[in-house]
Amino acid sequence: MKGTLLWRYRVGFTSGVLMILSLHLISSGVKPGDIALRPAGITLSLLAPVEAALNNFAQGSTGFVRAYFDLVNVRRENERLKAELASVKTDQSRLVELETENQHLGNLLNLKDVLGGNSVAANVIGSDANGLARTLIIGQGTASGVHPGMAVLSFQGVVGKVIAVSPHAARVLLIDDHNSALDAFDQRTRTRGIVAGVVDDGITMKYVERSQDVHPGDVVVTSGLDGIFPRGLLIGTIKSVIGAGPGMFLNVSITPAVDFRGLEQVLVVTEMPEQPDSTQAGSKG
Amino acid sequence: MVIIFAIATYLALLIQTAAPLWFPFRALIPNLIIILTVDLGLRHHGALPAFVAFAIGYATDAMSGTTIGMNAFLTTGVFLLSYEISSRLLVTNAFVGATAVFFAVMLAGLGAIVILSGRGAPAAIDDAMPTLAVQALISAIVAPLIFAVMAGSKRIVGLPDRPERE
Repeated sequence: MKGTLLWRYRVGFTSGVLMILSLHLISSGVKPGDIALRPAGITLSLLAPVEAALNNFAQGSTGFVRAYFDLVNVRRENERLKAELASVKTDQSRLVELETENQHLGNLLNLKDVLGGNSVAANVIGSDANGLARTLIIGQGTASGVHPGMAVLSFQGVVGKVIAVSPHAARVLLIDDHNSALDAFDQRTRTRGIVAGVVDDGITMKYVERSQDVHPGDVVVTSGLDGIFPRGLLIGTIKSVIGAGPGMFLNVSITPAVDFRGLEQVLVVTEMPEQPDSTQAGSKG
Repeated sequence: MVIIFAIATYLALLIQTAAPLWFPFRALIPNLIIILTVDLGLRHHGALPAFVAFAIGYATDAMSGTTIGMNAFLTTGVFLLSYEISSRLLVTNAFVGATAVFFAVMLAGLGAIVILSGRGAPAAIDDAMPTLAVQALISAIVAPLIFAVMAGSKRIVGLPDRPERE
């Protein structure tokens, strides 16, 4: 074998074959339940427990770290004041943390009551391994009834949907990921469109015809027609509407209602609430 | 070698998924996956390391985005480039490694944007370029430390730190 052309170029050959295999995976796409997703579930199962432990540790130390950053300037002015202030700030940050968490959980409970159906609260325990994609890892999985395709909400609005699960963790595709798409409408004019993420650039509402009446400041909510998100949940407000250039559709940019970076607790809708009559919406889109 | 890189990948994924929750500036978090892949390409020549690079990317796919195969493609490509650099240079010191990491992070980032956004890639690249450049720089600065840790780990288990010249 050694000395043959294949052996000499084995690295290039192997890499080439593997890159072609990768391209095949990319182009063919992977559906839930495919064998190609099994390693993903195993990886998630292996990482989730440590993620959760790290997250608990981080939450405990967040107050101290924040207090430290707050005190950098004060330390320059007066060492004694810094020491005193650090102690006070640490305690204060912990209290604020607790109060904020309490408030978030209270808001989630309110949302759960308003929403109806069944839902499960979950802590955010991890982020996406690659900065360009927008996913989160949450600390609830199949053991709590969480399954792929379920809607994930916060008290601020729509967060995303579950795309992968393990027994005690799940990955959530955020609505600002470029692969995300959900049926929505302008609450004022009932104009329908598809809300999708843009790589590194927030979210947009696609397929809104030029003749439609949409304006910056209009509120965009879920239509409930996609069967994933309950109807009437807040997605965001229209930031800009650009009609210049070629094409049939308007370029509608949306400011999300949810601060995805600040998410700590979310609600997974495990059983959809009964939908109101959806014939009112979507007649214009 | 496989076990060392499996453990290193596990730790890298752990850091890269957990760190953004504690640290708000995503661009300042080095791309540890690419650093590991460059280390693999510079110091391990053969078919098995190519499979390891693919597996590193596939594991990253499990924890990133929805396009299964994208990171596997990019890490295998980065491995191949690092291997080619290593087999053409007489010396692969920390500076060469750091430089390779800088360009590898940039290339992997640009590749990911092209795969993710297709025709919208030029605009997306414009938006993401400053973030990518900062992350590439930070990754290049951190790379010698990671290389040293990996070299130390390999020495402990008796693996050669330098590839055999072909």
